Parts: sequence; C-alpha cells; structure tokens
Amino acid sequence: MADTNLERREGDPRAPAPRRRAVAPAVDVFENKDEYLILADVPGAARDRVNVHFEHGRLTLEAPREFTAPGPVLASEYAPADYHRSFALPQGVDAARIEAELVAGVLRIRLPKSDAVRPRRIAIKGG
Amino acid sequence: MLRRWDDFDDTYALLNSFRRQVDRFVQDFETGVPAHGEGGPRLNLFDAGAALVLTADVPGMGEKDLNIDVTQDVFTLSGERKADAPEGYAPHRRERGRYRFSRSFSLPVRVDLERTTATVKDGVLTVTLPKAAEARPRQIAVRGA
Repeated sequence: MADTNLERREGDPRAPAPRRRAVAPAVDVFENKDEYLILADVPGAARDRVNVHFEHGRLTLEAPREFTAPGPVLASEYAPADYHRSFALPQGVDAARIEAELVAGVLRIRLPKSDAVRPRRIAIKGG
Repeated sequence: MLRRWDDFDDTYALLNSFRRQVDRFVQDFETGVPAHGEGGPRLNLFDAGAALVLTADVPGMGEKDLNIDVTQDVFTLSGERKADAPEGYAPHRRERGRYRFSRSFSLPVRVDLERTTATVKDGVLTVTLPKAAEARPRQIAVRGA
C-alpha cells in the first residue's frame, strides 16, 4: 500500500515544488581577541536578498542567486545556485552586535566576542 | 569555552565537510574544471543573438584585478585575487582560494572588439562580445514568385 502511495506522488500537482539547488559557499574563518570573522564567497547574490540569521546558537547564511541566461548556452562550466550554509557558534558571541556586509560578492560577517570571554589584563597592585 | 574551531562546528562538521567534498567532486567531474585553484574561475558562454555573453564568478575581484584580451578568435581572461586575510587574525579555516589565473579559449565566431564591454557586479564578471557583422544572425526574406 505504502509503495503505491509513493509512486502516485510522482507527478502529483499537489506535491511541493522541488527545492532550488543550493550550494555551500566557500568560507574563511578568522579569530582575534575581539571577534570572529567569517568571509564567504557568494558571487551573484544581491545585497538586499542576503539573509544572515542567528538562532539557537546557529548562524545561518542564505542568499538566493538571481540568474537569467541571456540566450542559449554555448559552453557551461557552472550552474548558478542559491547559497546556504550554517555554523554552530561557540558560546560567548555577542549576538546583538553581529554585523554583515557584502562587497564584490564577498560576505563579511563579524561576530564580536562578549566581554565575558574577551581576554583581559589584570593589573597587579603592589602592596 | 571555545578552544578550537572544530568545537564550533560540532555535530554537522563531518557531515557537511563530506557533503562539500562530494559536491565538489561531482561538479569537477561534470565540468572537468576544478572549482578553485590553478584553473581560475569557471566560465559560462551564451549566444545572445547579436552578441556572445560570457559570465564568470570572480568574488573579491574588481575591474582592476581582471584583464581581458582578445586576439583574433582567442579570448583570454586573466587576473589575480589578492589575499584579503585581515591583519592580526588567526585563521581557523581557509576554503577560499587565493590565486592568479589565466584562461584562454577560442570563440566560436568573429567578434567586434571595438564594441566589447565588460562589467563586474556582485562578484560576477559579464563580458558582452558583439558578433562581427558577417557572423550575426540574419533574416532572409523569402519572396514569392
């Protein structure tokens, strides 16, 4: 019974549309004493469509890619796809101060550390 | 408390890394061109009727970092992506390529060099190569007898 059910679903107009192809963008991750920094290559993503989202300790970046072929393809080495990637962040990231900017197809996300985890020099007082 | 970046990516790190590798392998296999490294950016070439349109993903590169050279029918795209690693940061993960590249291929038709234009927007290079007059599609009217 179940098998029949599955087979029927093929071509069923009520079935959800297939998801668009998504790729995980290449990233560099850096850290200094004040913050983490993520650089992600998202060529073709428009700034107002990039979505950087932080919830339950996970940072998710999503960016749809608009693309219309100007004509028939003569040669194709890549298929433009949407971008999607998510990271589990360590504790101690100040979520309220996360910033993202997009320049020349490179998304730059700054994740400031909260004061609690930032290294601190403790002055030693003489007696 | 975080010690290493590995702690960051906890549960799905291995799975994601494996998926990425498989994705890349499949893509490289399909196209015969590696996504990063020596080969340079991947290209797509379209026939837009009166012009050829070439697109390439060049994230982090601007007009100054790219050179286009057309000699007869041979198109060459070269450039360099400069390292944009910030000063004073320790790297945890490096996936984005830093490279210098040069790619050449022969164009299927003659193009008009004078009117060739190239733009870079959101990390995507678009080169429009108008076809030479003799290579442009032409409508031939059929006359009745």
